Amino acid sequence: MATLNIQHIDKIYDNNVQAVFDFNLDVKDGELIVLVGPSGCGKSTTLRMVAGLEDISAGKLLLDGKDITAAPAKDRDMAMVFQSYALYGHMTIYENMAFSLTLRKENPNVIHKKVLAAAEILGLTEQLNKKPSQLSGGQRQRVAMGRSIVRSPKVFLFDEPLSNLDAKLRGATRREILLLHKRLNATMMYVTHDQTEALTLADRIVCMSMGHVQQVGTPLELYDSPDNVFVASFIGLPPMNFFDVKVAGDKLQGKGYTVSLTPEEQGILRGYQGKEITLGVRPENITEGSDFKTTVTNSENLGMNTLVYTSLAGSGVKATAKLKGWKTYKVGDTAGFTFTRKHFFDKETTNAIRGNR
Amino acid sequence: MNMDDEKVIARDRMRFIRNSRSAVLCYFGILFDVFYFVNLYQSDVGTYYYNYNIGLSVIYNLLFLLIVFLCSEGVKNYVTSYSYALIVAGVMQFVRITQIPMKAHNAMVMVNGAETKVMGDGQFMWQCIFLVVSGVLLLASALINIKKSTELNAHLKELEAKKA
Repeated sequence: MATLNIQHIDKIYDNNVQAVFDFNLDVKDGELIVLVGPSGCGKSTTLRMVAGLEDISAGKLLLDGKDITAAPAKDRDMAMVFQSYALYGHMTIYENMAFSLTLRKENPNVIHKKVLAAAEILGLTEQLNKKPSQLSGGQRQRVAMGRSIVRSPKVFLFDEPLSNLDAKLRGATRREILLLHKRLNATMMYVTHDQTEALTLADRIVCMSMGHVQQVGTPLELYDSPDNVFVASFIGLPPMNFFDVKVAGDKLQGKGYTVSLTPEEQGILRGYQGKEITLGVRPENITEGSDFKTTVTNSENLGMNTLVYTSLAGSGVKATAKLKGWKTYKVGDTAGFTFTRKHFFDKETTNAIRGNR
Repeated sequence: MNMDDEKVIARDRMRFIRNSRSAVLCYFGILFDVFYFVNLYQSDVGTYYYNYNIGLSVIYNLLFLLIVFLCSEGVKNYVTSYSYALIVAGVMQFVRITQIPMKAHNAMVMVNGAETKVMGDGQFMWQCIFLVVSGVLLLASALINIKKSTELNAHLKELEAKKA
């Protein structure tokens, strides 16, 4: 397998629109990197530049230390799996999977062995004589993956491969991709806008917005220590709650409410005394308590959890709480809550405030 | 199944790869029949061909095209019975030499007061070549399919026996 070094890559289109700004990433051998972000953030463009389907405007791309910035797609030894499967409808599954090797004029017997091995890995052995139209969406996506596997590429690239599947199939196929990664121990780059896919699949996540990398880290790092408000709001479902507050001694003063700070939190905010900051609290870090009162505006029971949508009494600031278990709140009820974990962000830069930790 | 044995792998490939060689031979068989048919009436002198033979010839050619095309699809999928139909069609191509071409080659007609052959030696030679090549191609297609389908069936039986 392979290492991939992406160094200061930019993408500027002919109409001078810049889609990617100074993208830097070192992908380790056998690592699964997930690029995540909202539509238009430049994640697919980055992947396409890596694949060779888009020109790189500036920067360098190294595969195993070799500069492949200007190399055509066919010479990069990478395989890409698309959202739309891109299977040939008139060919059988076997022929689809063998196609790229046939074009390379490989020995038919070698092709046969590789196709059978890939089909075995993906559980497609019984489907090899069928046409793509006879398969389900999940099976078709597996064929698309199989087509990549037979090539034994150095790097696998996935461009939102699960977006065309329904929720159930998406979950199942996601687990298959994870198993495939473990089995092949291949270097993979995976693009998605679905944070669940990112959190469950990735060794490391690259979170992007407006063409800029916002944070690179493990799923836990992005969830637990987001670098800025964007990452904090993008990772986690329901998204993090944000409150405009002022640091006042051992308290945070909001509009009509106060939140007390622990000594450790006071240490983190030492340089922000008297200044306005953004307080971030994940819905799952809110529990029933008596720190401040809210008015329930809606509640949704999800079985294991209950989502309670509230408005903070006196200020009208909205917040969502994810409470454990089945709770029976009605619209208009008064509910008391406590924050069990807080995140602090600089109001001007939107960057996380971490103190001297 | 010994996947290190090239012969075994080649046999196993037949489970997924169609018999395109036999099918292509059929298409060429059809092509040479068309050459024969197009070439035949170039020697139309007077009204020699204007009898029931021309009707039979046209109908036979249509049937030939349809049947051989159908057989090409059959052999593509290793169905042995289509090979027998191809053998009949192939042998018939040889028999056809003795019908219209040979009779026309031996027949004489009056053109401008002189006796002339309906079909000259050169055209007769081409007619023979087209029909012989067409027949040989169909026979080859049939024989290849019989060989391959026999191998495939034996292989499938072997696989089933191993599964059981």
